[in-house]
Amino acid sequence: MRQLFMTRCRTRLLVVGLLFAALLALALPQSARAKGPAQPPAVHGLAPLPQGAPVPLSDRPPGAFPHDGGPSPVVFPAQEISIRFNHRLHIHDLGLGCTDCHVNATSSRSSGDSLLPKPTACDGCHKSDHRELHAVKSLTSDLISQCGYCHIGYQPDHGDRVARQHFPAPHLKFSHQAHSRRNIGCAQCHGQVDRIELATRDQLPRMRGCFDCHQMPEPARGDAPGECTACHLQDAAGRMRTEFPEGRLEPPSWLFNAGHDAGFLERHKFVAGNNSELCTSCHSESYCTDCHDGRVRPRNVHPNDFLSLHAVAARQNSPDCSSCHRAQSFCLGCHQRVGVTLSGPAENFAGRGRFHPPKSVWTDGAMGSQHHGSEARRNLSACVSCHTESDCVLCHATAELGGGLSGRGGGVSSLSPHGAGFAARCRGALRRNARSCLTCHHPQDAKLGQCR
Amino acid sequence: MWTWGQRELAVASACSTACVLLVSGVGEAAEAAVRADLTAQYYDVPSPYGDPVVQRRRYTHTLDLDVSDIDGDTSFDAPELVFRTRLRLDADFGQFSNERDPEDLDNFAPGLEQAPFDVMALYLEGRHYLGGAVGFRVGRQYQVDSLGWWSFDGALVRADVPGVFGIEAYGGFEQRDTLGMLGTSRYAADGVFRGDRSDLEQNEWPSYLEQSKLAPAYGGSVQTLGLEFLQARLSYRKVLNRDHVRVSLFPEPDGEVRSISDTRTSTEQAGLSLSLQHADLGSLDGEAVYDVFVQRLSELQASLDWYASDETTLGLSYDYWLPVFDGDSIFNWFGHAPSQTGEVVASTALSPSADVGLRAGVRVYGLALTPDESLGKDERWVDELVALNARYRWGQGELRFDGDSQWGDTGHRVGGNVSGAQRFLEGYYDTLVVLSLYDFEDELRPERAATSVGYVIGGGLSPEIEGIVRTRLGLQWEHWYNQLAAHQFRVLLSLTVTEFP
Repeated sequence: MRQLFMTRCRTRLLVVGLLFAALLALALPQSARAKGPAQPPAVHGLAPLPQGAPVPLSDRPPGAFPHDGGPSPVVFPAQEISIRFNHRLHIHDLGLGCTDCHVNATSSRSSGDSLLPKPTACDGCHKSDHRELHAVKSLTSDLISQCGYCHIGYQPDHGDRVARQHFPAPHLKFSHQAHSRRNIGCAQCHGQVDRIELATRDQLPRMRGCFDCHQMPEPARGDAPGECTACHLQDAAGRMRTEFPEGRLEPPSWLFNAGHDAGFLERHKFVAGNNSELCTSCHSESYCTDCHDGRVRPRNVHPNDFLSLHAVAARQNSPDCSSCHRAQSFCLGCHQRVGVTLSGPAENFAGRGRFHPPKSVWTDGAMGSQHHGSEARRNLSACVSCHTESDCVLCHATAELGGGLSGRGGGVSSLSPHGAGFAARCRGALRRNARSCLTCHHPQDAKLGQCR
Repeated sequence: MWTWGQRELAVASACSTACVLLVSGVGEAAEAAVRADLTAQYYDVPSPYGDPVVQRRRYTHTLDLDVSDIDGDTSFDAPELVFRTRLRLDADFGQFSNERDPEDLDNFAPGLEQAPFDVMALYLEGRHYLGGAVGFRVGRQYQVDSLGWWSFDGALVRADVPGVFGIEAYGGFEQRDTLGMLGTSRYAADGVFRGDRSDLEQNEWPSYLEQSKLAPAYGGSVQTLGLEFLQARLSYRKVLNRDHVRVSLFPEPDGEVRSISDTRTSTEQAGLSLSLQHADLGSLDGEAVYDVFVQRLSELQASLDWYASDETTLGLSYDYWLPVFDGDSIFNWFGHAPSQTGEVVASTALSPSADVGLRAGVRVYGLALTPDESLGKDERWVDELVALNARYRWGQGELRFDGDSQWGDTGHRVGGNVSGAQRFLEGYYDTLVVLSLYDFEDELRPERAATSVGYVIGGGLSPEIEGIVRTRLGLQWEHWYNQLAAHQFRVLLSLTVTEFP
């Protein structure tokens, strides 16, 4: 009986124990279950915040975006940091100021200056001796005076060397001294470094933050010039240097919506038309004329076989054509030579076929999608790329000037090409430039009288 | 036989000499940059009918000279004097001499020149004068605003009203090929065929109008300054024609040939561009151009972009475009309607190295903003458009896809390019490969539908030469095929030399 009781108790204990274990397993954080054994205490100073936690936006440099990944790597190239360091500890717990370690931070006048503390700056507290870098000594056996305490990956049996650090100079012009003299504190550019541990590229300034001062209106800007080359490097022609080994420097989207994204070609007209000075900060006029007045086909605009494609493209995209090409010189000049115009070198017409649909449809047929009148009203630029005004005047001028196909049965008035609303505009047209009127109308034409 | 244009050569020599003298005479602190680009292109342009085939054997040479800080003071806010010039020779040795012979009317092509030389830009610019508020430009210069990309010879003065506006005023003469050897017709309003008629009889090529006088031009703009959230610019420009040109294109019954020579409007336009910006939200951009002479709205563009995340922008865009022409042209007064395009736009950065842009929408022809300017319903066309651009970039190279499609009532054009570029040994060598595939059909000429396949292989060499900052010698080979033009080839040889004396 007692044995049975004991067996039941063991069974119940086992069930309760299993249930407890199951609940405990469910209650444990996912990461703890995955990692199994308990983690050692967090090592500080390896990242801006322990465990790689994100730095709050309010602590990052002014102008930073939530997920911007730091400033442009073209301006501030990638760094190699082999030191463990805790700014929060040194500033808050130990009461140090920024310039206690970064002693040149208020006097530096070049962005190429290294503002990192010299290793000897650490010796006083860390009980080390960095005076001879090829023979650094630990003066005590305390943990904080050992090389491996700060130098990540240090192994004493590996030649007694520490990993090299690399902080490339930024591709910028910058004077810490000038900013310091304007009472601009460190946090105004670098963010709240006192609340983080390791300072990385993410603590370097953002251009958007610079604009707090460098784009202010004239009276308020003081000594903060707004020119791009006030900070950016420039070439001998005085423009911004944009090509660097790390890549090409391009404007961000927030700067007048000028981000050079994959589709920027389509909308660059807005930026250029509105603020052409912004473009000339980096681009020479030659860069623009290579397309807008170019003599070598720009491949990013016109694909390979554009000679064959251009006829369809011109009918579809006349606005785009006119941004670079003048129809009555660029287009017409070539069209005359290849014999696709009505008036051109006679030799080029010999034996050629008809370019447009049959005359019975294109000219003589009823108005519709295949009629030249409809085509002209929808896309006049395409007509102008082949036809000179004499081609049109032949029919559309009044009979007094030899135009009008009176023999066609329609009479002169039926050939008027003027559109709706013309009557309201003709007075101004005649007054400002009578040439176009007189090309089709005789000076004594009664119709001109209506516009005088 | 090719005869070198002696005038062109004289002008080129004079300009080059002036450049050298200028460089040698500037202050010690001045910086100068000289760049020369030589390009030779060899290709044919076949007529749609197979004959004639225009041979292009082109040699283009541009010479740039930039001199900054001429007065030697490089400090900020100090007055700064800058000189810039760009000269260009664009020769085509594929032309036949009879194409330029006005006595051979069977072959003569008006306006054709074998080796036109032009001064693309030549100006002196001053900045930061009178306490930084005034700047100027004198010479042949470009003007970029909502009215377009334009060039004139003259003077421009810019003054900043502190903290509020910048005001710009200019006057001079529109760049035309008026002086023959010095300018191009690129910047003159369209719709008129002009040129040198000195060797033509009166009734030959009547629509090829004489152009002999300078075209006065003036204009100005007011723009906001120093505002992060707003950039706006109001522009105005007027150009006048003063040429003595023929009016009657055919002899009139009384045998008279009328002409006109008074001062009259060539173009008169006003434009407004606007950009409202919020760094966290997005941007609203727009442009509008009103043609005062034609008395119609000629351009209206707007785009609304939303910065959906740090990596992604979504937007809408609208484009209204009505062609307008020179005041001398009859085409302004032919009834015509605008094209309007509406698109949705998206762009996203997949990583710091990769991004994608997509545009999709419709283009409507024949529909105007006001019903009385619209065409009838049976005269309206609708096309659909899709464009996709994607690129992956790394430090020394780029791989990209550019696709462009439009189909609908006008026919269709569908295709794209895959291109890759890579530099080796820090740019000592560079390579380019492009593959392209397009299919196209014009609704008016269905017999000229085709599928085009092509490729480009190119490479360059940038050797280090003592005393020269950068030299690049490049060669590209293009080959494409379609059913209409069969196999076509193009060879492009280029040499670029940049020097900072």
